[in-house]
Amino acid sequence: MVLKALRMARDRRQHREGQYAALFEPYQGDEVVALDCELTGLDPQKAELVSIAAVKVKGDQVLTSQRFDVKLQKPDSLDADSIKIHHLRGVDLHGGEVVGDALAQLLNFIQNRPILGYYIDLDIAVLNRHLRPRFGFDLPNTTIELSRLYQRKMQQVNPELQPDLHFDQMAKKLGVPLLERHTALGDAITTALMYVRLNKGAIPV
Amino acid sequence: MRHEFDCQQPPFNQLSESQAHTLSQSLDLAYYGQGDIVLDAGQQSDAVFIVMKGVVVELDPDELQSDNPDAGVIGHYTAEDVFGAISIINGRSRYRFRTLEETIVWLLPKAIFLQLMEENTAFADYFRHSLIEKSRLIARHAPREEGLDLSSFMLARVSDTILREAVVVNADCSIETATGQLRQEQADSLLVRHDTQLGMLTRTDLLDAVVMQHKTLSSPVGPLASYNLFSVQLGDFLFNALILMTRHRVQRLVVLNDQTLVGLVELTDILSFFSSQSHVIGLQIERAQSLDSLGRAARAMDELVQSLVAQGVKIQFAMDLLAALNARVMVKAFNLLVPEAYQQHVCLLVMGSEGRGEQVLKTDQDNALIIDDGVEWPECHQVMQQFTETLLSYGYPPCPGNIMVSNPEWVMTASQWHGQLARWAASVEGESLMKLAIVQDAHPVAGAVELFTPIRDFMFDRFKGNSVFFSHFARPILHFATPLNLFGGLKGSEGLDIKKGGIFPIVHGVRALALENGIKITNTFERLKVLAERRLLSRDFADNLAEALAVMSMLRLRQQLKVQAGRVPERDGNRLVIPELNKLDRDLLREALHLVKEFKAFMEHHYHLER
Repeated sequence: MVLKALRMARDRRQHREGQYAALFEPYQGDEVVALDCELTGLDPQKAELVSIAAVKVKGDQVLTSQRFDVKLQKPDSLDADSIKIHHLRGVDLHGGEVVGDALAQLLNFIQNRPILGYYIDLDIAVLNRHLRPRFGFDLPNTTIELSRLYQRKMQQVNPELQPDLHFDQMAKKLGVPLLERHTALGDAITTALMYVRLNKGAIPV
Repeated sequence: MRHEFDCQQPPFNQLSESQAHTLSQSLDLAYYGQGDIVLDAGQQSDAVFIVMKGVVVELDPDELQSDNPDAGVIGHYTAEDVFGAISIINGRSRYRFRTLEETIVWLLPKAIFLQLMEENTAFADYFRHSLIEKSRLIARHAPREEGLDLSSFMLARVSDTILREAVVVNADCSIETATGQLRQEQADSLLVRHDTQLGMLTRTDLLDAVVMQHKTLSSPVGPLASYNLFSVQLGDFLFNALILMTRHRVQRLVVLNDQTLVGLVELTDILSFFSSQSHVIGLQIERAQSLDSLGRAARAMDELVQSLVAQGVKIQFAMDLLAALNARVMVKAFNLLVPEAYQQHVCLLVMGSEGRGEQVLKTDQDNALIIDDGVEWPECHQVMQQFTETLLSYGYPPCPGNIMVSNPEWVMTASQWHGQLARWAASVEGESLMKLAIVQDAHPVAGAVELFTPIRDFMFDRFKGNSVFFSHFARPILHFATPLNLFGGLKGSEGLDIKKGGIFPIVHGVRALALENGIKITNTFERLKVLAERRLLSRDFADNLAEALAVMSMLRLRQQLKVQAGRVPERDGNRLVIPELNKLDRDLLREALHLVKEFKAFMEHHYHLER
């Protein structure tokens, strides 16, 4: 934690005058960005990016008209297992954008808005692994962990309860439709809808 | 579920591929909690709303009542339904849109919506047009009703409904006698029994024998017949019979049940069966010589309705056709049961929906009898009892209000009728008014139909200019004043009573207008036409009301067919469960109910029916 804070402070100092300086400013607006990456595995040191998707959330609205949805080149580690999970084949990734371009666009899309996601630390760790060598910094944005927000809201109603934090179960409980599960954009939109729902009124018990 | 918007549903299926792409790229999602107001009356909207999940209710805020949560409800919008478009076209929303439960909607920005409207006329028409045009637009894309497709036609079998009775004569029967039999049985051919063999003898054979071969009228028919017969088994596919006929170039086949002769099938009957079953049923009714054979024809009518629905026949045509066929059954049954001596001294009336010619499936028997003054007919009650029971055995359900000829109250002499009508007219109490309404729709079908005219004219004259009467007469329209409240429990399975909520207000309102204006025809569609011609209703309004009635009748008919098929309990014959309807039907139904509401408001004003 301390290490992370130190690293961020150094990043901020180094980029104060640079192209990405705005990223390090504290965010003043009322939007967040729901982010989801499809990865080839769950190990932050090895997992490769298959696709990245993000949508903006403003108040009660999910701005799907302003979306970020990029499929990346086929990484070496895209194997049969992850095809089963994501229904993505190597050929779907041909003509996708190279990681560097994609990340530049992503930074431009997110700006300094808070990033919302489901087990977002994993996605951010993988993104940072690609960001640091190319841009010289980690994502400085604050993050909102959907499962933690969900747990807190549920326990406000019933402190005894250990809520089921599976993505599908939370969506079901919140009455949010599961949109194309295991596509980055579908999961990002579902995440965004759950967030809007959690910020609005009572949670069903 | 897909996150991309599905453009296959009308009106979005009118968009080109690139327009559909533009649309799906410009949609946002919005979440609303339970009871949130999405768009308020008088508010300008900057988006069109399409429901992804949840339910939105459309309310008239002027009609809200604190004690009745369902007051002022106009419509409901659920998955894939579109609202707010009219608000954009008109500038402001006329009603309030509030969620009934948590709801997620797609937002189509105003600018994109207007751009699509401008680019695509068919898409714009959907939002601009009246119900008539909308249902036409939708009909082009409507999927066929499941399980009711044309294959049921192709799978029809040789059965009672298409059989002609075989008239069998002996080989030594004379040409004269045989011709007499043909005429008497209204048949086209005879079967000639020659020892153990059967032969076919047609009208043409007889004609040839007499004219071309100069046979005398007393010569036997045996040698004239052709003994090379083809047969099919009862229950074989009708299609096979048709193939057999085509192959051997014959027009008639003998139908056997195992080895026993059961009748004939004729080419013309098969062809008309494939083109329209109605013709066959019509012929059967005409040809029926006994109550039994008439019953077979009457019972076949329900199948006819199914195939008409399957073929997408417009409901008004189906109503006209069925009304004609039902009337013929009544006439035939009347003629078979009522002794000839009395037939010209009594008049059979059909009333209610049958009198208006608006029933499709057999509905309750509503009938009555007028007896000419001074005619004594002691067996009358007994015969009428038999008449009612006969219709019952044909599948016409009894009238729950017992308005049937078996009930002596509905069998009266002409002067008794006058007296009764006068009494009902004098009392402004519910039941009398209902009876007057039933008699107003009466249609004389059999016997001395001229007996009815003076009675009807008496009734119309009686009410001329009596505005107090009309405000009582029309009031039941408001009895189900907020029928849409049944929608309120949309999450449950309560459903909407389409008869009370939609069909009755139009039928009864139009009936009241007809009575007031001396319009003596009984069919609601015809009444509406006349009302428009006389400028008592605007042409557009009348046409749209007719379409609304047609839409709701069709939805009701489909529900009743489900009852018939045993898929829905009988008490739910009028009950539409909104979430079970497809989007097209929901769209049409909502438009139709809007019109009902408008019509009720018109009637309230017209007859000063303050609540």
